Amino acid sequence: MTTSGDCVKAESLAGAIALGEAQEIDREAYRSHLAGCARCLSAFGGEREIERVMALVPQARDDERWQPDLRKLLARRHAPRRAWLGAGAVAVAAAVALIVGLRATAPRPAAAPVAHHSISAQEARALAVLDTQTAPRHEGRAESLVVGAATLSTAFDVSIDDHGMPIRCKITKSSGDRTLDRSVCLTAMHVRYSPSPAKHR
Amino acid sequence: MEEARLVAHETTIAQARTEALVVEFQTKLSRYLRRMVGDAEVALDLTQEVFLSAYRMLKADPTRELNAGWLYRAATNGAISFIRRRKILRMLPLDREVDANSWRVDERSAASVDLQTALARLAPEQSAALLLTSYAGYSSSEAAAMLGTTSDAVRQRVCRAMRVLRSVMREGMER
Repeated sequence: MTTSGDCVKAESLAGAIALGEAQEIDREAYRSHLAGCARCLSAFGGEREIERVMALVPQARDDERWQPDLRKLLARRHAPRRAWLGAGAVAVAAAVALIVGLRATAPRPAAAPVAHHSISAQEARALAVLDTQTAPRHEGRAESLVVGAATLSTAFDVSIDDHGMPIRCKITKSSGDRTLDRSVCLTAMHVRYSPSPAKHR
Repeated sequence: MEEARLVAHETTIAQARTEALVVEFQTKLSRYLRRMVGDAEVALDLTQEVFLSAYRMLKADPTRELNAGWLYRAATNGAISFIRRRKILRMLPLDREVDANSWRVDERSAASVDLQTALARLAPEQSAALLLTSYAGYSSSEAAAMLGTTSDAVRQRVCRAMRVLRSVMREGMER
């Protein structure tokens, strides 16, 4: 005799089979339930049937081609004010030595004093992709930024105008990876700096 | 040469991190949302909402971790409340202009159309369970964390979704 409680259990077993998460013991329990429950057998089908039906989902996903681009939409709403760059303001040359640490896996420690000067590997990668956005996305190449758990560092100088807007970025110590260097500079050009107060007094 | 202190503007950091999230997740999230609501334009609006709330969070706290789980949870909540609102709107005698075809995912793949037909018949919670696992590739326990439920409940929802999908496929055979 099967009870409705058994059928509820059979639902999660069938779900586990559907997701490829079932152990052999679960499969056996499901088979023995079906042997005594014609209703579940006709509603869900056997293991093979479940797998056949579920194969449709990844197939549907792989058939999709729709690839919208939200960046333009979002950029319009809160773009950095790039128009300032290269404006005829008096340039204050400032040597800003900033080490950008890239960590492949570790979340950034909350107490790190440089926490908000560092960008994550993911951000550097994204910026590298943005930089080459006219070409098709080269995920493989971007991945090469992340080398195990190694920490790469790049040093660079940023020239800023007296509003603290960056004008130019120059790499002074390469990390050895040109894509990384480039995305570091790209990031540095996104940041607004505070001009040295001493200069103006 | 003067040494200037670098003060990264919190807004700029938030922008850079949002941009990174957009680049990494926009396709996945907008496709997930299009499956959830069955309409590309709505999916774009909802995806944009997700990134805007990510941006607001990051502006308030630039060091906050926002992962895929957070984004999918926000997307799912947005989709479910949209579906509820739409359901109410359709019961009111107002929205007569809405053409049934405009909600359909336009694909040339039979698998895609079958999946969408099944999703349209499911409760949004069941659609979300099926999509987060089999479609987006998360395990039942990861999906459970995103949906605020147990992995057993996710498996049951997947089972019910599978049952509907199965009958849609059967109807397709009979056609």
